[in-house]
Amino acid sequence: MIYLDSAATTLQKPPQVAQAMARASGRLGSPGRGGHAAAMAAAETAFACRSAAAEFFQAPEPERVVFTSNATHALNIALRTLVHPGCTVLISGFEHNAVTRTLASIPGVRVRVAAGRLFQPDSFLCEWRDQLDGVDVAICNHVSNVFGYILPVEEAAALCRNRGVPFILDASQSAGCLPVSMRRLDAAFIAMPGHKGLYGPQGTGLLLCGLEDAAPIITGGTGSLSAQAEMPGFLPDRLEAGTHNMPGIAGLLEGIRFVQRVGPERILAHEVRLARQLAEGLDRVPGVEVFARAGLPHQAGVVSFRLRNLDVEEAGARLGQAGFAVRAGLHCAPLAHETAGTLESGTIRASLSAFNQNRDVEQFLMAVRRIARAAA
Amino acid sequence: MVYYLIVCRSLTYAQRTASALERAGITAHILRSPRSISQEGCSHSVKVSQRRLADALVVLNRVGLTPQRIYITDSDGSYREVRL
Repeated sequence: MIYLDSAATTLQKPPQVAQAMARASGRLGSPGRGGHAAAMAAAETAFACRSAAAEFFQAPEPERVVFTSNATHALNIALRTLVHPGCTVLISGFEHNAVTRTLASIPGVRVRVAAGRLFQPDSFLCEWRDQLDGVDVAICNHVSNVFGYILPVEEAAALCRNRGVPFILDASQSAGCLPVSMRRLDAAFIAMPGHKGLYGPQGTGLLLCGLEDAAPIITGGTGSLSAQAEMPGFLPDRLEAGTHNMPGIAGLLEGIRFVQRVGPERILAHEVRLARQLAEGLDRVPGVEVFARAGLPHQAGVVSFRLRNLDVEEAGARLGQAGFAVRAGLHCAPLAHETAGTLESGTIRASLSAFNQNRDVEQFLMAVRRIARAAA
Repeated sequence: MVYYLIVCRSLTYAQRTASALERAGITAHILRSPRSISQEGCSHSVKVSQRRLADALVVLNRVGLTPQRIYITDSDGSYREVRL
């Protein structure tokens, strides 16, 4: 199988990730729950992972790095902390259901959408700026999981800062390949998965907290202030009730170390080079419509396309039968499809990672050509 | 042996404290706070030797890590809070 679904999860990981997870499952106890060797070894691993993430994302201190089970979990904490019934919230036109469904679940929230045109960051920023007045909270996706569109989040965050609007960044597709700096963005929260561009295992995520006073969405034991009825007021304990996913955290630490070793710039350059090869190749296939601007100036390693004579799900199934893992449909982001005008059809998405090679793209293009010819 | 316990508000805070001290060449060991001194239940402390407390406090002040409370061991094994 040639795996081109890294926007969902990176399947190929550095070998150190699985090795660390295997070691952890027999050796690491529960951090903060006991002073014995296994608990302390777990505490050391958790601290090493927090410290690595804090350094990588320029968080002020390791306490501001909270372990979650995925980016959706992290976004839920961020949104439920800042968005209250009746709030007005500004979002980009490329948000995932992790944001839109969560907002829809809070009564009376008024949502404004700064859409802009696909791959035109200036048009997005105009809409973002024009709609900021009277907004209580703003949330922006860094990279669209459907189209790979890189949104101008530093400018969007600066506009929020100037107006005193708390800013939340969804770094689900950017963490590990694009610069994500807590210090530069001055964000209230930054949410990200551990299992995508950070090459950790599934079941891991991170929430970087600019605000200390976050609202826990689950409560329970933390191994601290146990005689107190309420959750501790300090991070990370306040947001980490219950037993930690230590094999996951151990694996995530190795994933972050891999990204630091290779360098996010090199990973991004590699993915964009492959994405360019893919987009240019798809553009030459009769009957294929590819969503990319020439040279991919505002696009990461994700390419969406559709075939004129074939349903996207059918095309995705045929590609799957031919040995290619891609995702078809709406990608849990109907708003992004609405913004791009692809809500009715959906798209087929190919997404790349540090482990893909030129030949993966070449073979994929051959398969698309065959399927498009057969459908013509 | 007489030693000091620096009580920290969280395990992560204790880890940062111990890490800062170790970086400065001060041996620091994290342990669960004895129940008799963990007033609100379950906390972690950093243990430092008697002769290094002053150095430790200078280091912690420099890096902005504030000890919650500090205790010294008494000869009978009990703990007495140290007022700074």
